[in-house]
Amino acid sequence: MKRRKFIQQSTAATAYLTLGGLSLQSFSTNTLKHITILHTNDVHSHIEPFPADDIDYPNLGGVARRSTLIEKIRQENPNTLLLDAGDIFQGTPYFNIYGGEIEFKLMSQLKYDAATIGNHDFDNSINGLYAQLPNATFTFVSANYDFSKTVLNNHVKPYKIFVKDGIKIGVFGLGIELEGLVDPKNYKETKYLNPVEIAKNVSKTLKEEEHCDLVICLSHLGYHYKSDKIDDLKLASQTKDIDLIIGGHTHTFLPKPTITKNVAGENMLVNQVGCYGINLGRIDFYFDDNKKKTSKGTTIIV
Amino acid sequence: MKKIIISFFTIFLLFSCTKNKLQLVKIEGKLLPITEKLASDSSIVKTYLPYKYKMEKEMNSVLCYTSKNLVATDGVLESSLGNLLADLCYKKGNFVFKKRTGKNIDFAMFNFRGIRAGIPKGNVTTQNAFNLMPFENNLVVVELSSKKLRELIQYLITKKKAHPLSKQVRLRITKNGYNFSINGKPINDKKTYFVLTSDYLQHGGDHMDFFKNPVHLYELDYKMRNAIIDYFKETDTLKSNLDGRFVMKN
Repeated sequence: MKRRKFIQQSTAATAYLTLGGLSLQSFSTNTLKHITILHTNDVHSHIEPFPADDIDYPNLGGVARRSTLIEKIRQENPNTLLLDAGDIFQGTPYFNIYGGEIEFKLMSQLKYDAATIGNHDFDNSINGLYAQLPNATFTFVSANYDFSKTVLNNHVKPYKIFVKDGIKIGVFGLGIELEGLVDPKNYKETKYLNPVEIAKNVSKTLKEEEHCDLVICLSHLGYHYKSDKIDDLKLASQTKDIDLIIGGHTHTFLPKPTITKNVAGENMLVNQVGCYGINLGRIDFYFDDNKKKTSKGTTIIV
Repeated sequence: MKKIIISFFTIFLLFSCTKNKLQLVKIEGKLLPITEKLASDSSIVKTYLPYKYKMEKEMNSVLCYTSKNLVATDGVLESSLGNLLADLCYKKGNFVFKKRTGKNIDFAMFNFRGIRAGIPKGNVTTQNAFNLMPFENNLVVVELSSKKLRELIQYLITKKKAHPLSKQVRLRITKNGYNFSINGKPINDKKTYFVLTSDYLQHGGDHMDFFKNPVHLYELDYKMRNAIIDYFKETDTLKSNLDGRFVMKN
């Protein structure tokens, strides 16, 4: 009996040390953790740079140049996520001839982590998108398109959680209303669900149940409309568990990310980097457990 | 007992973790332009180069010839390019429609803005077809009542734009109204009319609302661009003129 108790105690002590050791590693003071989010939107099949005589974007863009920049950033910080906010397809003959094969292959080679679905990604119908999925090593996330009655059932997730240096990052996707924008023949039985309700539920799940340190929304809703139509800024003001909205659709060239307030009055970011692979967006998140620092709140530099 | 003790420590540690949870202290956001200052990653270029060569070969392949520039702006209410586009779509579309239904399309109508580029004098390539029609629009046939047909005519008269019409149509805006015929015949109110257009316009694009809710909709499952390419391939020299199919008489 006595011996047994001793063993129990020593086991407990070992457990404490082991867990304590882990805990020291995970929560040691003054250890900054740094997560880098890189993002694109509305690349629209632009593989090569624009020609030097282009009126709008002379000598800009190009996947091969983007790759060099991404690799340089990854070498500086391996804890980097690469995301896309949709409309990967349509815009150059690369899409018309190869149906999106080369876009997905290059994004896989660039090691994209996740993308959401834009309205033009239905341009070869939902079957055309489905047919290209084997060329994509990254995950498609969309929380407000119900694909359960389509070929994409189980191939698109509402969200995906990434863990980088112990930091949990939840990434979920939102798509624009398809009716009136996309031929019903192309989206078939896809059901569009209210993005605000879905965003509230999914972001709450990611923060409270999955205990994500960061919640990122990949949105193809559009940056801002003067009408009542839902957009990224309205979404931001009506939700509370999102840290960053990466947008698309409206081809908005924001010179810097927009700092806006969520429904709880907390600052958050909305960003969009135009279109055609002209720019790469970069958002860096720094974490610390130093109480003196946290008492100051989060500093946002844009 | 062992489990309970471990659980206790786990809970204790989780609790202490929560207290010491990492805080987001700083966020930095930047826009990084992709310029020529960045070197090209050769492994990426190597991936797309074979696709590029194959695509360029296809894009540069000569389909036919034109002895003059075909443009959308050489007339007032019609154009050489608009007439060509409507007539070739009629020819290719009617072939499919007649095989399926045994009926003939009455005429074709598209929108002026849908002509995205002219075709310069010389060899005509696949690239020209893509420039002319970069979208994935499909050909559809809408069966219209004579009432809807009159709305269509009213639209043309109000807009006064060179919306492409096929050669079966003769529309003349007069001082007091208009003269309209299809294959030389006036509108018959007891008849319905088969009009070829694109799915984009049928869905209300350019506010062509008369195409919505037709008596019947026939989808040809034929992309407009493919109809253009098919026609170019079977034609040696493109011929198109202004023939007075849509005019205004002062």
